[in-house]
Amino acid sequence: MQEIRIPQGMRDLTASQSRRKEALRKRIEDVFDSFGYEKICTPTIEYADTYRIGFTSATDLSEMYRFLDQDGNLVMMRVDMTVPIARFCTTRYSKAEPPFRFRYCSEVFKIRHMFAGKRSQVTDCGIELIGLDDHSDIEVLYTAIRVLQQIGAKQYRLEIGNSGFFRVAAEKLNLSEEQRTTLADLIDRKSLVELHEYLVKMNASKQIQAFFERLPLLGGGSEVLMEAMELSFCAELKEEVGKLMKLDENLRKLGVMDHVSYDFGKIPHLDYYTGIIFEGYVSGVGTSVLSGGRYDSLLGRFGRDLPACGFSVKLDDLLDILEEEEKNVVRIGYPKGKEVEALILSETYRKDSHVELVLWDEDKIEVIV
Amino acid sequence: MSLAVALTKGRLEKSVTAMLEECGYGVQKLKDKGRALVFEDTVKDIRYFLAKPNDVITYVEHGVADIGIVGKDTLMEGGKDYYELLDLKTGECRFILAGLPGNNPLQKVGHITIGTKYPNVASEYFHRHSLDPEIIKIDGSVELSPLLGLCDGIVDIMETGTTLKENGLVVFDEVCRISARAIVNKVSFKMKRDEVMEFITDLKEKVNEKC
Repeated sequence: MQEIRIPQGMRDLTASQSRRKEALRKRIEDVFDSFGYEKICTPTIEYADTYRIGFTSATDLSEMYRFLDQDGNLVMMRVDMTVPIARFCTTRYSKAEPPFRFRYCSEVFKIRHMFAGKRSQVTDCGIELIGLDDHSDIEVLYTAIRVLQQIGAKQYRLEIGNSGFFRVAAEKLNLSEEQRTTLADLIDRKSLVELHEYLVKMNASKQIQAFFERLPLLGGGSEVLMEAMELSFCAELKEEVGKLMKLDENLRKLGVMDHVSYDFGKIPHLDYYTGIIFEGYVSGVGTSVLSGGRYDSLLGRFGRDLPACGFSVKLDDLLDILEEEEKNVVRIGYPKGKEVEALILSETYRKDSHVELVLWDEDKIEVIV
Repeated sequence: MSLAVALTKGRLEKSVTAMLEECGYGVQKLKDKGRALVFEDTVKDIRYFLAKPNDVITYVEHGVADIGIVGKDTLMEGGKDYYELLDLKTGECRFILAGLPGNNPLQKVGHITIGTKYPNVASEYFHRHSLDPEIIKIDGSVELSPLLGLCDGIVDIMETGTTLKENGLVVFDEVCRISARAIVNKVSFKMKRDEVMEFITDLKEKVNEKC
């Protein structure tokens, strides 16, 4: 017998799952719309070279679905929406006046390990605010909090970091490229044991060691900003903490501090982030559901130097925690041969509700109660 | 909020349970457990469950468990999507490179073949030595493979060294030391930070007392 399967990492959605996903997408997009974002679409496949420009450090192609087009060029399924939008914005809107507020809701693809229980195709629903500097961070963060709120989980939290903090510290200490990458990875993974071993091996001074070993645990409410200020060993680092303090003050004024925390151990994997980075968590989901940050140098790589900040929500991880919404369905029974009459009657109900025609044995057409 | 803690079945089970007991946790049920797999702490708001080493990582990565206690050997071979917050300094042993006397793979001229249960650990070790051996995955009794001539040497865990000695193998190098670690789900660390840190700090104090 022929075995019928779907490719590794892919999933079908049932009617109930699709309905919940649509409802969630609608709620999130309504928030984006209310902040003035406009939807755009880009192709599902891009040239691999586009991603090589976007991710300057050695791009790991092994996680991407890639193949050759009719001319033998390497193309791939998009792995995110930020790089395609940077390409889109710098080419299609090259003459237009910024700022641009773009939103998208698109499928993105990344090959996951076999049997890890992760999806290789997910729906990425997000925004990019292009052409405004870090004074607009607060607007993007506020939008993110409103989105988390709309998801409807019992608890939600937006955690903010500053990619500049680690970068400045590494520059000040003249760390080599290798030391920087290793430390960034160990701190981001809060791998405290290896971090300690590595710093000892590096022959770092007691102060430097204490500084880096503190970073992974330097997280929590506004009080950690004070501690970060004390840990800062130069004016530039203090300036980076100062940026978060300013944001903290603004978030407080907006009355959303209950759902915000900070993490100085958050170090981005993507080398295009330049300022704040943040992730959103909701109770009941074991992974971050929202992520984003400021990437002021990305668009420049595509030829138009514009600052930008954005984030996206991965819809699929949220499906399990969503309640099914009540839907309003009117059912109309009809006998065989009376299809046209049933359709005419259904028109009167179709304006306000969904109508389902039900074939029955009775010789009359009427609404089933 | 209550915590779910995944413990590794087998080698680490006893020493970790003992440590938790010394910390004042209610783990009596874990000690005389029969066939049950899930246990409630009688003192704290914690639920424990026992799982195979690799599954502990999987449960933590998916957030089914907030915290997992598992050997570094398993962590080195598996995924990395978690925080590793503490070395419990128990269940200590070493990854070693071993083989027949006089046949050190590091000094061999030509193609090197290594048998191991831990292909990632083995290839990473040889890359550090700028060598690129062929790795053959063996599932059990790795010591057998050089005796049968399948490979030039093995990378494996050594606790006492008795098995190696009895099979006439010698240790050429230590790859690294390993011990039990506490790993934490990333979201649990954000959403249940206080509970997670309390658990980690209790264990940490116990570890420091012992060292």
